[in-house]
Amino acid sequence: MQMKLFSAAVLAGAVASSAAFAECGDVQMAEWNWASGELMANVDAFILENGYGCSVELVPGATTTTFASMNEKGQPQVAGELWINAVREPLFKAFDEGRLHSAVAGPITELGEGWWVTPAFKEAHPDLDTVLKILDHPEMFPDSEDPSKGAFIGCPAGWGCQLANANLFRAFDMEAKGWKLVDPGSAAGLDGSMAKAAERGENWLGYYWAPTALIGKYGMQLVDFGVPFAGAENWDGCIVKPEQECADPQPTSWTKSEVHTVITDDFAKSGGVAVDYLKKRIFPGPIMNAMLVYMADEQAGGADAAVEFLRLHGDLWKTWVSEDAAAKIEAAL
Amino acid sequence: MAENSIIDWDKLSLIHPPVMGRQDLRDVKKAIDGTFRDFTRANGEWIESIFDPLKWFLLWLEDLFLATPWPLFMLAAGGLAYLGSRSWKLAVGTMAALLLIGWFDMWEDTMTTLAMVSVATILCIVIGIPIGIWMSRSDRVQAMIVPVLDLMQTIPAFVYLIPVVMLLGIGKAPALLAVLVYAIPPIVRLTNLGIRLVDKEVLEAADAFGSSSRERLLQVQMPLALPNIFAGVNQTIMMALGMVVIAAMIGGSGLGTPVLRAISNQYLALGVFNGLAIVSIAIVFDRVSQAYGKRLQKHREGGHGV
Repeated sequence: MQMKLFSAAVLAGAVASSAAFAECGDVQMAEWNWASGELMANVDAFILENGYGCSVELVPGATTTTFASMNEKGQPQVAGELWINAVREPLFKAFDEGRLHSAVAGPITELGEGWWVTPAFKEAHPDLDTVLKILDHPEMFPDSEDPSKGAFIGCPAGWGCQLANANLFRAFDMEAKGWKLVDPGSAAGLDGSMAKAAERGENWLGYYWAPTALIGKYGMQLVDFGVPFAGAENWDGCIVKPEQECADPQPTSWTKSEVHTVITDDFAKSGGVAVDYLKKRIFPGPIMNAMLVYMADEQAGGADAAVEFLRLHGDLWKTWVSEDAAAKIEAAL
Repeated sequence: MAENSIIDWDKLSLIHPPVMGRQDLRDVKKAIDGTFRDFTRANGEWIESIFDPLKWFLLWLEDLFLATPWPLFMLAAGGLAYLGSRSWKLAVGTMAALLLIGWFDMWEDTMTTLAMVSVATILCIVIGIPIGIWMSRSDRVQAMIVPVLDLMQTIPAFVYLIPVVMLLGIGKAPALLAVLVYAIPPIVRLTNLGIRLVDKEVLEAADAFGSSSRERLLQVQMPLALPNIFAGVNQTIMMALGMVVIAAMIGGSGLGTPVLRAISNQYLALGVFNGLAIVSIAIVFDRVSQAYGKRLQKHREGGHGV
């Protein structure tokens, strides 16, 4: 990271007077604290810095905090992988008011949130193929603190998905069916509990999302809810709201996940070539998953993985950039 | 060439110290991870079962706190504060703090946190004092344990959260372990220090009276070291309270959970309320235990006829 800042500073100094720099300038990009977001931010940074002479600063952050900052302060200017379910209403309000824009809807294909089980569980119980059926068997997922109940691992406190999971817990009447909603406390807690269960061959039912290295690494299986999506009104007006604003949640499958690359109005106007690049930049899901498994296996950070991605998938990213920029990026690699 | 070498010669320069080749560095990290993974797979279950009794004790205590009628709990807390400090002001202050905590709807979380801190403190005393005594009797043991204590106190808690979760899952047991790692060092250090500070003359007198080493420890060294040991208990409680938020990150629940929620949602008031609840508990524990420690000191001075 230090090297990166250093090289960014040198770069900024070296090209400060050049036309390329004037065209692009300083860009602040959100660097998410999850692997795919980290990779995407670093790929963007590498391409914009080396291909278009931008001076990119990566700003670490989480969904709600980064969104709030973009919405209120106009910084960072680019959020590469914004999962909009957590911030849907204020985001669309900002879209309507023209403060924020979507550069691309779906920068990664084939992704989603939902409830997952271990592959061993799926293999051992092929008949339990929906959430509804699994919910009749809390005894298969004993909670460590109260083994008489089944543990459903929800979302860490404060994450956008926490409310949705808590409301679905009520919608499926899980308490009466003998389940307990476990708050894993943090990303580390959630990852650790899933990894531990998968490693030890224990059963695990909980919330997670793809594309992620852990899902790929352990081959976790997304479970169909067994009920159809009960409408946007139920989801947006109740499931994602705090409990007191959601008196009567209906059972439903998880809403289709939408991820956008969101940019601020200022940047949309001044970004020029950088915006054109962001509009074309779409990662196919399988390539992203493969990169995530690479990151986990090799313990590569976002910056290293970005270089690896650019080396491996030239035919993909060259469709995103101009020929001129492609040559410069190639040279920088 | 740079990929596989003990030193990456390409990177070596006057401004960059020698660095291991990337591939080697990666292999080292992977080997450590792999070893730990195999270890948890092989030993996770029995290590988890060691913590079971502690977990059940903690859950029992939490249930007890929660099931106790609140007026009774407050009287008991006020009574304990008075017994410890002999100060009506502190006793009333304790009850007022609890009343405020209840009024701001933080009672359940506070009980959870109190149960966690109580069990952690008891464990620290049970484990820490014997280690402290052992250290005080041998310079070699002291030289071995001090670096371990330094490590426990300074290594960022986030570093050991993942291994702890891989071993014990999420919940009370791993949270308790994380708190223990951080809270045990002060009591070990101060027990060791307290015993070492006992006057040589007093020990000589004890020897002259023909006391066995057991009598010397229990009837001379320990009583004289008590004020220091008590300062250690005080510090241990403070450390345990400080770990409440970290413990919540691996499912420890209690007052730390709303703080985490407040951080990620920018709920200023929620964070401040729960933070202040932790502070008020800390102040009560601190003042009561310090007052108690001072009374021990007085007793000691009286005994010497100073």
